Amino acid sequence: MAQLSVENVTLSFGGINALNGVDVVVEPGELISIIGPNGAGKTSLLNCISGFYHPTKGRITFEGHDLTHASPHTITGYGIARAFQNIELFGGVSVLENLMLARHTYLKYSIGAASVYYGAARRREVENRRVVEDVIDFMELEPYRKALVGNLPYGVRKRVEVARALSLEPKLLLLDEPMAGMTLEEKEDMVRFILDILAERGTTVILIEHDLGVVMDISDRVYVLDFGMVIATGKPEDVAEDPAVIEAYVGGAG
Amino acid sequence: MRNPWTRTGNYKTSYAQDTTIFATYSEQASLVVFLVGMLVLPRFLVRGDMQILDLILIYALAVLGLNIITGYAGLINIGHAAFMGVGAYTAALVAPHLPFWAVLPVSGLVAAMAGAVVGIPALRIKHLYLAIATLAFQLIFEWAVGHSPALEQGGAMAMPRVVFLGYKVGFKNHHYFWYYVTFVVLVLMAFAFRNLLRTRFGRSLVAVRDNDRAADAMGMDPGRTKVFAFALGAFYAGVAGALYAYWSRAVVIEDYSLMISIKFLAMAIVGGLGTLVGSFFGPAFLELLDINMETFSYAIKEIYNPPGVDVGSAIRPLAFGLAIVLFLIFEPRGLANWWRLLRSYFRNWPFKY
Repeated sequence: MAQLSVENVTLSFGGINALNGVDVVVEPGELISIIGPNGAGKTSLLNCISGFYHPTKGRITFEGHDLTHASPHTITGYGIARAFQNIELFGGVSVLENLMLARHTYLKYSIGAASVYYGAARRREVENRRVVEDVIDFMELEPYRKALVGNLPYGVRKRVEVARALSLEPKLLLLDEPMAGMTLEEKEDMVRFILDILAERGTTVILIEHDLGVVMDISDRVYVLDFGMVIATGKPEDVAEDPAVIEAYVGGAG
Repeated sequence: MRNPWTRTGNYKTSYAQDTTIFATYSEQASLVVFLVGMLVLPRFLVRGDMQILDLILIYALAVLGLNIITGYAGLINIGHAAFMGVGAYTAALVAPHLPFWAVLPVSGLVAAMAGAVVGIPALRIKHLYLAIATLAFQLIFEWAVGHSPALEQGGAMAMPRVVFLGYKVGFKNHHYFWYYVTFVVLVLMAFAFRNLLRTRFGRSLVAVRDNDRAADAMGMDPGRTKVFAFALGAFYAGVAGALYAYWSRAVVIEDYSLMISIKFLAMAIVGGLGTLVGSFFGPAFLELLDINMETFSYAIKEIYNPPGVDVGSAIRPLAFGLAIVLFLIFEPRGLANWWRLLRSYFRNWPFKY
């Protein structure tokens, strides 16, 4: 059975259909890329999956949970994490605190224990700090551990954004343009991180990316969106040959 | 070699060690010296000074609560004095039936409930619009008290005299007794505040302040977190209200008016929004300024007193306003920032680096 299934999802804002009858099926452990021109509805689809938008029509399910009308924090609880396109970190606190914030649902202790910082509170904090340190190690963020996120360079903040999503220990990771605006070197690093996430953690990844070179290289399957509709889907090499895709990207012959 | 008195290097070997607040002996010693100093301080002060000192500590407790709501959770609260008032009126109603140490938490809890109710609009509205909702609560509170015969319609409701361990608190020792009570409550609640802020409860407040969309994606319910922030902040205000009621021996509506709410915001800003020490610096600075300006205004009246203009009574609000404007322009991070700079200078002292 598919891990995530998006069935016939339509999302309308007034008279405009941002998504129009979209079907997506994701199997565990896959790397799925969603590509398409600007305004095709890629981020809208991610917003529907993560609960920030609710589809006007259709149904989204993840491992037997119905996500169609669930709120973002409920969906996070099911094991879906997301890195935002326009960095949405907690600017006023350190990298470490940002990642500890992602452990919120794992930190189980009472307010009484927390107010004296003793017993369960102290134990859970240390346990979860260890998990967070693993992620810091994994994403190579050691030099920035205690730095304020607001003061970090763009490329590092993008990495913190992914690290924070990883700290949730998700089963499905949604990455919205994690490489946008990065240098070639930073992009290569990020690709390596994504491949490591798949290999070491077995996390399913849905990736939105404009760099077709990266997409064609690393994806298991690709969905191409245009004007809110899936115009092509399949293996990267098949999609690249698809006439509908070529038309969407470079325009028709006449 | 490791010197336990200063931070000569990073000797931490476990994550538990990394979370300690007072890491070196000097830091621990300075805390002890400070606490002992505060305990013996009344020996050197006269009754009039004690009255001001009590007031500063009570306001510090209230500002601590405001810092939870406005400083950490980022929810502008123009109704904080009303939360304090809820606590004070609760105290006035239950004090004849309960010992004072039970009145304080009861007042806090009732205020926390009021806070949670005021927090409910935060589920739907944000920023300035939410601030207006808290303002509405302040006005509703004042109106409701003014129209309820059970609360003397805002007139004075006397607080009973306290007997503690067979010791009668009277006119002479009133301010000394309440100084120690307030001090102990303040230390305990500041300790809880500091601890809550380094656990999931405090972190979630900062998360909804910085970015509530992302907080949602991290698995926290931003709405519930905001209601929690209001309830917790109002709890602090409620306890402060009960202490204020005992301290002033009576509950009067003027002590919990909109003007006081604004004053709390000013104290929080002057002290440093979103800091623990700022909650002490702000009230201390503004109250001492007020007292000194009062003395100063008498002096001014002697020298310069044109007919038709009351120069003397204009000095106090003028100084208050000027202090806030100057802080907003020159030190928006408040007195707590000076404290931070001072501390970071002495962190490695006497070594240069």
